[in-house]
Amino acid sequence: MKNIYEVKSKNIFKSFVVISLFFLFSSVVIYVITNALGTYWGYEPGGFGYMGVALIFSGFSTLISYYFSDRIVLSISNASPANRKEHFNFYTSVENLCLSQGLPMPKLYVISDSAPNAFATGRNYEHSVICATTGLLDKLNRTELEGVLAHEITHIKNYDMLLMSVVSVMVGTIALLGDWLLRASWFGRRGSSDDDNNQMGSLIMIFGLVFALLAPIVSQLIQLAISRRREFMADAGSVEITRQPQGLISALQKLEMDREPLEAANKATAHLYIVNPFKGGVKGAVGWFAGLFNTHPPIEERIKALKEME
Amino acid sequence: MNWTLFLILVLVVVLFYVVSTYNFFVSSKARIKASIQEIGNQLKRQAELIPNLISSAKGYLKHEKGIFDKLTDARKTISRAIESGDIQKMSDAGGKLSSLLPDLKVVVESNPEIKGAEVVDNLMNELRDTSDKVMYARRLLIDLSADYNVKRATFPSNLIASIFGFEEMQGLKTPEGKIEVKESEMETPKVDL
Repeated sequence: MKNIYEVKSKNIFKSFVVISLFFLFSSVVIYVITNALGTYWGYEPGGFGYMGVALIFSGFSTLISYYFSDRIVLSISNASPANRKEHFNFYTSVENLCLSQGLPMPKLYVISDSAPNAFATGRNYEHSVICATTGLLDKLNRTELEGVLAHEITHIKNYDMLLMSVVSVMVGTIALLGDWLLRASWFGRRGSSDDDNNQMGSLIMIFGLVFALLAPIVSQLIQLAISRRREFMADAGSVEITRQPQGLISALQKLEMDREPLEAANKATAHLYIVNPFKGGVKGAVGWFAGLFNTHPPIEERIKALKEME
Repeated sequence: MNWTLFLILVLVVVLFYVVSTYNFFVSSKARIKASIQEIGNQLKRQAELIPNLISSAKGYLKHEKGIFDKLTDARKTISRAIESGDIQKMSDAGGKLSSLLPDLKVVVESNPEIKGAEVVDNLMNELRDTSDKVMYARRLLIDLSADYNVKRATFPSNLIASIFGFEEMQGLKTPEGKIEVKESEMETPKVDL
């Protein structure tokens, strides 16, 4: 038995640690790789220019998908606006939960897909969207649905969409920089040929290459760790709103039993869903390693964390 | 030279903290006020909803006069509470309607002919929804006042609260900081499955 407020502050602390770790890691990697690039091209300190270029490249697409996230959802197959009469429980539950949080009402959409799932998106409170599949609305009762929707509303409330966008811009930047350095070194070293700090230069190059090889993977792993941490936070937030862990627990149990993958999901939006839309997965020692690559923590672990709050 | 710079930096940080904490208290107070209005708002909605529900379900539940009497009674209590403007009364009145739900369930279960009738389903859904709305409106008030009071009591924001004289928020009014639990509320709730 744990106090919900304790869980919340612990979650915030852990999340803070992972996120700061990520930004620390990113800055070190970007520093080293840009320096190596700078050394390679012959002017030592000028590497940060590449960072700017990489940031623009990787930021552009993410920025667009972040800014238009609420409209992109419309282009997802079969997402139609929900209305109060037809989707009474969905509509009124969100209405009530937002009332309790003092949030504006998000736009609601329904995807006709029998795989039960739901996600939230939108760049700010005014443009937030919650989408649920017909499978979810049919299979869950009102209490369970409230648990799931409160989870999504917590994502909106915590600006998780913004956080994950920033993080994925950084991951993209690192991947691009690493890629450039690896490609550049493929053609051999041209730049500065006969200076005194040649040794220093090659040391920077070696470090740069090691980082260029490993950093993209590591940064993605941290990105996924952040995503999983935010899921735990959203679960705890859901309990804080509804005060009924049982609702979300039984909803998660139902969602776990359903092995049907969601057709409308893709890798870019996977972290937004209540449960991993791709399903599948392995257990045991291999599962632990595979777990590092998941956007969502295993459902058993989430249920365990929720049971502690009962 | 360095010392003055350091001092200025510290002052800026402190000033920033004081301003943001002051703003937190002021805006929280405004939001608490708004949330009290929201409770009244939801109760008003409830009071207006009841006649609609009665007229739509009357045909189906004509033998169940008791239900309608209770609905009308609940409406009267709600209207009176709204008029009095007392938060405590308003919050009590909100619970009245939700206590009707079990009665209605019993009626529906014992009358197979009305079970599954859309109108009756609607009635039950709307009743549950409207009482949820009042519950969540109260939750907002309670949460906001709790955040405010925690900040008011903890260091160092309590210094700012006492400098500017921010008083404790009552939330749903509980005299002497105790919650009164009535005899009837101690009973184990009946659940029919």
